[in-house]
Amino acid sequence: MSFANMWCSNTSPTSVNNLFPGRSMVLGSLSKMDEFSEAWSCPKGSKMNPWKYSNILKEVHNVQISEKDTEFLAICNAGLTTGLSREIIMEALDETHVAAVKDIYFVENTSALNENTDCDFFVVFVKNIPEFSSHSEASLPAGLILLENFVTPEEEIALLKSIDWTRATPEQGQSLKHRQVRHFGYQFDYGSNKVDPEKPLDAKIPSVCSPVFDRMVQREITAWVPDQLTVNQYEPGQGIPPHVDTHSAFEDPILSLSLESDVVMEFRKSGVVVPVLLPRRSLLVMSGESRYAWTHGINPRKSDVVNCPDGKFSLVQRKRRTSFTFRRLLRRACTCAFSQFCDSQKENDVLSRENISKNCNETASKLENLHVHQVYEEIAGHFSETRHKPWPNVFSFVNKQVPGSVILDVGCGNGKYLGLNKRSFQVGCDMSQHLLKICREREFETFLSNCLALPFKDNSVDCCISIAVIHHLSTEDRRLNAISEMVRVLAPGGEALIYVWAKNQERDQQKSSYLKQCNNKPSEEKPAPISPFSLPVHTNRTQFCHSDLLVPWNLKQKGLKNSGLDSSDSEEVYFRYYHMFEEGELELLCNRLNNASVERSYYDQGNWCVVLKKAPTNKFP
Amino acid sequence: MKLLTHNMLSSRCIKGVSVGYPLKISAKNVRLVNCDFDTDFTVRIIQKLDWNALWEAAESVGHADDIPKNLSDIDDYDKNDEFLRKVHHVVLEVEVIEGELECPETGRKFPIEDGVPNMLLNEDEV
Repeated sequence: MSFANMWCSNTSPTSVNNLFPGRSMVLGSLSKMDEFSEAWSCPKGSKMNPWKYSNILKEVHNVQISEKDTEFLAICNAGLTTGLSREIIMEALDETHVAAVKDIYFVENTSALNENTDCDFFVVFVKNIPEFSSHSEASLPAGLILLENFVTPEEEIALLKSIDWTRATPEQGQSLKHRQVRHFGYQFDYGSNKVDPEKPLDAKIPSVCSPVFDRMVQREITAWVPDQLTVNQYEPGQGIPPHVDTHSAFEDPILSLSLESDVVMEFRKSGVVVPVLLPRRSLLVMSGESRYAWTHGINPRKSDVVNCPDGKFSLVQRKRRTSFTFRRLLRRACTCAFSQFCDSQKENDVLSRENISKNCNETASKLENLHVHQVYEEIAGHFSETRHKPWPNVFSFVNKQVPGSVILDVGCGNGKYLGLNKRSFQVGCDMSQHLLKICREREFETFLSNCLALPFKDNSVDCCISIAVIHHLSTEDRRLNAISEMVRVLAPGGEALIYVWAKNQERDQQKSSYLKQCNNKPSEEKPAPISPFSLPVHTNRTQFCHSDLLVPWNLKQKGLKNSGLDSSDSEEVYFRYYHMFEEGELELLCNRLNNASVERSYYDQGNWCVVLKKAPTNKFP
Repeated sequence: MKLLTHNMLSSRCIKGVSVGYPLKISAKNVRLVNCDFDTDFTVRIIQKLDWNALWEAAESVGHADDIPKNLSDIDDYDKNDEFLRKVHHVVLEVEVIEGELECPETGRKFPIEDGVPNMLLNEDEV
């Protein structure tokens, strides 16, 4: 290990290891040695072994690794798993061109590297870089049309002049977190994400827009003239969260005119991200699938990565941009073909909350799959980083178990409570493969399982814990079922500790630690979940107003630290389903079991907790 | 998956399965790890084990020689340090990394990947 370190740090001063201190590794003949693999605990050919990349570079790209400094670099393992996007790489480089194949980036002119980059990846000098042919534009979402030079420079000036940013009525505009906004015709309400057609604004759409409307109709882009205009002004570093314009609020299509400067807008659907460059004075037409089923948003960044005709890409600094979004109110229910994303069709959908509470198991399972399991799978890494300190009362419960006990953690997450009691056998289960992978890396024993069907034989464990799990089940029957499964696998006389989130986050005038972490930032813009379930969305770090709700998780994607460029962190919002427990509700649920009794119940930092004891065999024959 | 975990795993949650135990192991990759030996721990764990299931499991991963087929063959096992260390080795230090578990009643297979058994069942199986 020390040899590997020394070798890395003793290469020439301009070596990449100095440029990416601490967290990068230098490839070379050394890394092919068995000792190296062992020292870095990454077997040859494993995902984290740079050796793999030397082969890929040679075999696939015909690129030779160089042990001396050259003018070319290959940055390997720069994929999603290391959180290294092309934006981040571009920010680490000054004016230069970069080309990429899968997770390998090729850089020309290595003198352009900035210092202070902090990322996990492998960097190596190479003797050459492959030829890149000009690749075709990634295909746009269906229904998305981009019309360049839709307005003339003169019209652009006139349009911009028509907006007075210094004055506005409260209905007409507000300064949102990320941008300035003005409404004309009708007000778009960011609370409900809807428009009230009964309340037209005094501020009409400026007449300077008329030639633009005429052109739209003439070119058969729309059969109607827009009656609602939203003007947004973005400074560099500002953006708009990914969203779908409410189906029931507006007709198809939605039109957006870009003025003052270019920007990259991102379209997303089922994990696919399509960046689209919107040139200055272009009109973007969002129709069909692109309007109804894809989200669109602008990352709050100060620069964009733009594809060049030669197949490479480069970094463009943003300037102030003003967009005119033209829409027409829909004065009836939406009947689009994308019911999964449609609020109109959702209201008639069988998947409504009323049915969920009626023990509709199939619906409940769909809800939990979408708003619990899939979310944890996505946020696992970030979630785990925020979950390291065991709660003291759970810690002491696990630790008081006698040596030789078998302790099962149902919903073990990242394994926060596994491995605490060294003289017991601790095993965990969870629904998230990603979280179990984290447990595995920590050498904890786990299996993948649903808490409603534990794959253990009856009476096989001495103790169960289930911390912050049962509140993710969406019917009372399912919550009861999860508890009865734990009791089933418990040995007679064995105990289970159960924690669930309390609806009331204040007790004896004491705020829970959850409420105390409130940063009092106003959150005027609530991102709306894309979901077939009509559930209220909770505002984080506040009291819970509903018993069944969606709690947003802001997934921060790591940007560059210390790079001198701020706003490089991006955020995506995921919604987790919770059932919030009232006082006494958990005890009532437990009391429905005839082979266990509540030993103790208490309130602990915003959670209701019970210790449940399984009856000795002779008590209930 | 350690053999101690296997000793508790069951497929009884599958619809129509009455016992679902023990699950048959087909191991493609078995790894040995080091765990600290603890006499008290091992003695108490032995009392909880289904010995036949453990022996069959050990046999299926090539470690049957380490332990006797019948626990009753060993007198005063709680004082037999050599025996306890062997049991400790089999239940905690032998890990199935890749392979399959199989329900003895339905033949339903559960894959083991990277040491983690996937015991998930489809909605229509429970």
